[in-house]
Amino acid sequence: MDVEATNVKERSADELFKEFKEVSITEFFRKNKAHLGYSGKVRSLTTIIHELVTNSLDACEEAGILPDIEVEIREIASEHYRFLERDNGPGIPVGHISNVFAKMLAGTKFHRNVQLRGQQGIGVSGVTMFCQMTTGKPMRIKTSTGDGKVNAVKLMIDITKNAADILEQTEYSEYWRGTEIECEVKSVKFNLSDTGPYEYLKRTALANPHARIALIDPEGRKTVFERSVDVIPKPPESQKPHPKGIEVDDLVNLSKQTSANKISSFLVGEFSRMSSGKVKEIQELIGKEKKEVKGKIENVYKLDMNRNPRKLTWAECEEIVKAIESIKFLAPATEGLQPIDEEHIMKAVLNILDPEFQFVLTRPPKVYSGGIPFQVEVALAYGGHAGRPVEGGMKVEIMRFANRSPLLFDAGGCALTEAVKDVDWKRYGIKDFDNSPITIFINLISTYIPYTSAGKQTVANEAEVVKEIKFALMDVARKFQMFYSRQRREGEKEARRQMLLKYGTELAEGLARLSEKKVDAKKVYQDLTSLIEEKIKLANELEMLEDAEDENGTAIPLEAQGDELIEGESEEKEE
Amino acid sequence: MTRREEVISRLGAFGDELLEEIQKNEVPKMKVPQRGLNNVVFNPSTYILELGDKKSTRNYMNLAHTKKFMQSVLIAAKCKELVDRDKTASIRELYYQLKHAIAETKENTFEGQDESDPLIVDLETMLGVLREELHLKADDKGTIIGKITIEDSGDKIDCSKLGRSGLAIPSIVEHYKFSDVKADYVLVIETAAMFDRLVEEKYHINNNCIMMATKGQAARGIRRLVHRINTELKLPVIVFTDGDPWGYYIYSVLKAGSMALAHESRRLGTPNVQFVGMTMTDIKEYGLEKVTEKLKDVDKKRISEIQVYPWFQKKEWKEELQLMVDMGVRLEQQALASKSLEFVAEEYLPEKIKKKKMLP
Repeated sequence: MDVEATNVKERSADELFKEFKEVSITEFFRKNKAHLGYSGKVRSLTTIIHELVTNSLDACEEAGILPDIEVEIREIASEHYRFLERDNGPGIPVGHISNVFAKMLAGTKFHRNVQLRGQQGIGVSGVTMFCQMTTGKPMRIKTSTGDGKVNAVKLMIDITKNAADILEQTEYSEYWRGTEIECEVKSVKFNLSDTGPYEYLKRTALANPHARIALIDPEGRKTVFERSVDVIPKPPESQKPHPKGIEVDDLVNLSKQTSANKISSFLVGEFSRMSSGKVKEIQELIGKEKKEVKGKIENVYKLDMNRNPRKLTWAECEEIVKAIESIKFLAPATEGLQPIDEEHIMKAVLNILDPEFQFVLTRPPKVYSGGIPFQVEVALAYGGHAGRPVEGGMKVEIMRFANRSPLLFDAGGCALTEAVKDVDWKRYGIKDFDNSPITIFINLISTYIPYTSAGKQTVANEAEVVKEIKFALMDVARKFQMFYSRQRREGEKEARRQMLLKYGTELAEGLARLSEKKVDAKKVYQDLTSLIEEKIKLANELEMLEDAEDENGTAIPLEAQGDELIEGESEEKEE
Repeated sequence: MTRREEVISRLGAFGDELLEEIQKNEVPKMKVPQRGLNNVVFNPSTYILELGDKKSTRNYMNLAHTKKFMQSVLIAAKCKELVDRDKTASIRELYYQLKHAIAETKENTFEGQDESDPLIVDLETMLGVLREELHLKADDKGTIIGKITIEDSGDKIDCSKLGRSGLAIPSIVEHYKFSDVKADYVLVIETAAMFDRLVEEKYHINNNCIMMATKGQAARGIRRLVHRINTELKLPVIVFTDGDPWGYYIYSVLKAGSMALAHESRRLGTPNVQFVGMTMTDIKEYGLEKVTEKLKDVDKKRISEIQVYPWFQKKEWKEELQLMVDMGVRLEQQALASKSLEFVAEEYLPEKIKKKKMLP
């Protein structure tokens, strides 16, 4: 018996494809916001603050202004807040306001080979989008470049056009410079946990000692992280990429955009550490083939370096990249990297954590994965406000930073966390590391931070990076050990002194009774006490002399420093 | 100067030396002779175990010594008081007299007698005086029975008229005076049970001897008494213990002295005592194979320890000890009961003693 398919119409391909629409980027965001930092109520709020503050810091830095940032979060109802972020930056020219706040994936940051703060964010437009999605309300922006005119704008994003929808725009006179952003948001939550905005701002302050950051929380409490350094950090420089890091696709794109006339000058001009000698090496490696040249069969190079680079094929680019893999190049220049600086971190740590002991270390720059420069800065703070208070004691706090931006989430799978856990802290005298009042600060800077995936806040397990972090941590731990053992020794010395004096009373009594002569027990005790104090003083002086000798003979650094040649097969490939 | 005045003077000098050091701004120190195998000297001709010259220094500023230092001074001061007042105290009473909380602390001067007892011995060796001379006494240990009269603080005690128990021997016997002695020798017995056995068999009456029970390791009182009876009354002394390394050690202590009291061996050791049993040769001689006991690991360890003591190097003892190792067994005094209850009193002892089958 035939079964009839009822109610199903056969449709033609044309009909089906009528429904095919291009999904706009903003729609993509709506459906994938979790990947972009807007997952979870607390995290979403922190991401909002992160985007705004990052922008302010970047803008101030580029304009050479010491940042003064204020954040206010007010609770309107449960999981419904109004926030405000204000900076003293250079302001946004009126023509650019739409782009900054309403255009996704636009911006100056995406194609520069430079150490960027907050590479993992989608930008301020994401904030506008998120607030709009949860409340239907627009973002209010006030900004002025300091020319006496303030622009106040109310805007939303038109999701289908991926452009701004300006609801209101006014201009008025006032002498002020900076940017103020105000918006309402729902489905977020404020708390003081270590993934919330407070912790984010505290860590941002630690990593940016030149910034003054204030927070007024929903309870009305104001916290100010004062600036501890008056120097604006030099903006990191853009650099030419190193040949070792390039992927075929990137090479193709670069070749299409170059204005060079020959492949050789394209390569030399586009890449760092590339010379005509290296170009020749590439050519040699790609090899020769038999070709007919002017009627004769000749052995010629497969790739003629004098050709037009814009005509390079995908296959040829692939050959070039493959050749590069087997060639030695000088390590990339690392001047583009901008560490926070040991002294600055020290000041920030002292300022914010007020610890009993702290030690900061900036390692020399290195290279990972063949061609990407990076640098590690590490600090350890003990006592004072260091560590994370929990019920029943203290827990160690690990603060991770990538290019000076705090990584608050997904600590578990992060290479930075792993490196800390890999160190054998017991060897340095810290018996119960996990429950100690210690804060570990790790800042990884690089032109390309190896995140595990988009939107995640975990650094991938690159061998060279992990090695560097461990070395840094061990150096710091060793310094801590010296301090800690000295502290313990002091405690022991005082206990000893107490004991000697304590038994001294009995000893004096006994001696007074034993002696045939008439001796006063009190006098004996006095004599004994002054004897004890004097001997202790002598012993301390001797110990200080010995300590001074120990310290002047400093520890041998763990590995030699200096320019390294990158081998074809990377020597760091130890897996 | 009488001995008493000598003792007081030494105690005073001990304190004064320390006071002087303090006044001279020097760290107070005391030198204590070391007691142990590495500081005993055995003299094979006199057969006496003596203390060597090695001393350890106790320094008040060294935390490991501080408390002991203080405790030693307290003990010395208290002993001086006892001697001055002509009172005696047991070592436990001394501990209680000295125990109190240290000013402004929750800590006591002494936590247990295990702290004060060894320091008393230190004081003895440092000052070269006997504990008894410091007016400290320990508990009674051991008994004596037989035809000897002992005068003790005005009382005359006839040790043959004390029923089956005999006289309890105190730790201080300096004041004893002997009279009316009718005995050929002294038999010193390790176990109380064997002592009782021999008393029931009227051994001391039938064999005209004085019997003493050490009841385990001989205490200083009984050792001193044996020494005095042997030297003053010129009576030979025969020792009768279990056939195991512990019994043999008891014998050696009676004979040559102990490491712990090496400073007193001259007054507490009796070099010419002799050993009647139990020996390993007895096993075959008297058919006692079935009543031996296997040596435990701890026994074997003890044998190897005593085998190297200089005072066990006589040929006869070396042979006995080796025989014990080879046979791997020990033999108790009371095992003689396997023959009959009377065997020890009627055959074993009389025969061996008459035939002088004894070890030196």
